[in-house]
Amino acid sequence: MRAEEVEVRNPSGIHARPAALFVKTAARFVSTISLENVTKGKAPANAKSIMAVMGSGAARGHIVRLTADGPDEDQAITVLHDLITGGLGETLEG
Amino acid sequence: MTRPVRLTGVAGAPGIAIGPVWRFDASNAVPQADASRQVPGQRPADAIEAAAAETARQLDALAGRLRDLGREEESAIFEAQSMMALDPGLVEEAIGRAGESGDPVDAVQAATAAAAELLAALDDETLAARAADVRDVGARICRVLRGEDLALPAVPSIAVCDDLPPSVTAEIPPGFLLGIALSGGSRTAHAVILARSLGIPAIVGIDGLIAAVDRRSGPSTSPVTIAMDGERGEVVVDPGSRVTMEYRGREADLTARRATAAGLRDRPAATADGERIHLVANIGTPDDAQRALAAGAEGVGLFRTEFLFMSRQTPPTETEQVDAYRRVLEAFGPERPVVIRLADIGGDKAIPYLRLAPEQNPFLGVRAIRLAYADSDLLLTQLRAIWRAGAAARVVPHVMAPMVATVADVELLVSLRDRARDTLVSKGLPVAERMVTGIMVEVPSAAFLAPELARRVDFFSIGTNDLTQYVLAADRGNAALAGLQDALHPAVLRAIAGIVAGADSAGIPVAVCGELAGDPAGALVLTGLGVDELSADAGSLDGVRAALARVTRAQLDALARAALDAFDAETVREMAAALLAPAR
Repeated sequence: MRAEEVEVRNPSGIHARPAALFVKTAARFVSTISLENVTKGKAPANAKSIMAVMGSGAARGHIVRLTADGPDEDQAITVLHDLITGGLGETLEG
Repeated sequence: MTRPVRLTGVAGAPGIAIGPVWRFDASNAVPQADASRQVPGQRPADAIEAAAAETARQLDALAGRLRDLGREEESAIFEAQSMMALDPGLVEEAIGRAGESGDPVDAVQAATAAAAELLAALDDETLAARAADVRDVGARICRVLRGEDLALPAVPSIAVCDDLPPSVTAEIPPGFLLGIALSGGSRTAHAVILARSLGIPAIVGIDGLIAAVDRRSGPSTSPVTIAMDGERGEVVVDPGSRVTMEYRGREADLTARRATAAGLRDRPAATADGERIHLVANIGTPDDAQRALAAGAEGVGLFRTEFLFMSRQTPPTETEQVDAYRRVLEAFGPERPVVIRLADIGGDKAIPYLRLAPEQNPFLGVRAIRLAYADSDLLLTQLRAIWRAGAAARVVPHVMAPMVATVADVELLVSLRDRARDTLVSKGLPVAERMVTGIMVEVPSAAFLAPELARRVDFFSIGTNDLTQYVLAADRGNAALAGLQDALHPAVLRAIAGIVAGADSAGIPVAVCGELAGDPAGALVLTGLGVDELSADAGSLDGVRAALARVTRAQLDALARAALDAFDAETVREMAAALLAPAR
């Protein structure tokens, strides 16, 4: 199992469009993956469920913890971590 | 041959349309020709999984069609909805609720409603808005389960209904929607915003529309034809050849006016003899900034901030507000000032975290700046966010407080502004070099006190909507008082003349940010009265710019003098219209 924390940096947080991109990417891996909004103290959410990911309410500036467990866990964490730091398809300001 | 029936509503989006009616109502579903998806005796779990998969397929197809049309933003919404339909948690929840023999439709409805409520409860406006998307997905899955399809228009048509949800408008192929006529809705309804972006007319709140249309349609008759003028808010049922001719004439006129107006966009607004008028936009969210810039706005005269405070369970944080203000300040830059209006909230709006006591008469109650006497936290947080946003965007922010009634109100505003700055400075945080500070003049007492107030602030902005309601003591929402709700009433104009005189005595500028500023006739009267800046919805700027370009200062002065001596709004409106009428 691998876990890593990362700050959400894109302006609108992980809402509809960024959430869709995140979930689609997570679904490519066989590992069980979760996303936990540490800032809000929410329970870990299934990273392959758009409803669960949106429900974590991750906004810009929040810290989220990614956890992956399975054969491709290392790759999953690396890819998803980069996706979030890269702004989830949105332009980063400043 | 039946006689034409003329009906009026509230103008939503300009444009002329003539065409057959497409009646839509919430139960506007017809059984599918091919209802084979419904397998008798199918287990609820299998039925739900199959329906969810089919819904996702339909949504993907819709997203693909929109993407091909270059409508990327809308396409992304349907793509996300498709993933919601297949969401493992949601589908499992519905299957769990249905059990072995439950009704799959009830189960899907309950599961999606519960999921939507969870999102709506989050203190994040963007996410809360997604709750509607989830409910929409639920409704789609249920339609598939029942073996129904939406009945879409088969020929280019005018939609006639109470309200038109976004998922339905998106299903209608481009070119098949000629206009939108609603018996309900408001000027800010989703359908109206869509109509503006599609360039088709929309009218809302048309009394008697549905009855008039339904009375004339029967199963065997051909669809009713209607004509609509989105600018005047007029609908004619069964127009006949004479009205059709009249509407075609208006259409040609509108096309010509639009071409002229668009040609003026890259030039600053000015009268025919070259006097500059500052023409700026009203915006309601940071997303409106681009539309305002595209319409040639020279800045923002009213950035409403209520969107940050509504539909949520906790107040917006300082950082969240800094982000929102900064986005707008950066979009307009140092050359185009942005006036941020401090939150105009009070007892008429449900804001759970403020725990406001219900009031008999909220428009005369504890609202806006008046809230700060008891608890100034909300206002201080907003002012700190504006100081910080100005520093981040490297511009001088402008703020104005609504509902100011007394000198004490202004003194409170100025002291809170300075306190907010001091707090940030003591923490070592960067702040804007200064904050241009103004007040809305919309309460009669502020109009009477204009000279005293003007000496204490940097600018005035007249809110003509509320000023009219307070001066004429006529509730804005009471349809029975329509005759007393026109801001061109000479009583209101005399109040404005007094406000301008007060501002002049202190040498500060006066803006108008009410509806009147976006009405070409109103814009001329206001400019005649000596107003320096007009702030209106982006869609109104072209019309105002074109009107100003056709008149001289001398004509405007004469118009203002005559308007002040009139006895009613209709006379003033006719005098302004005469100035704008094409010379023959």
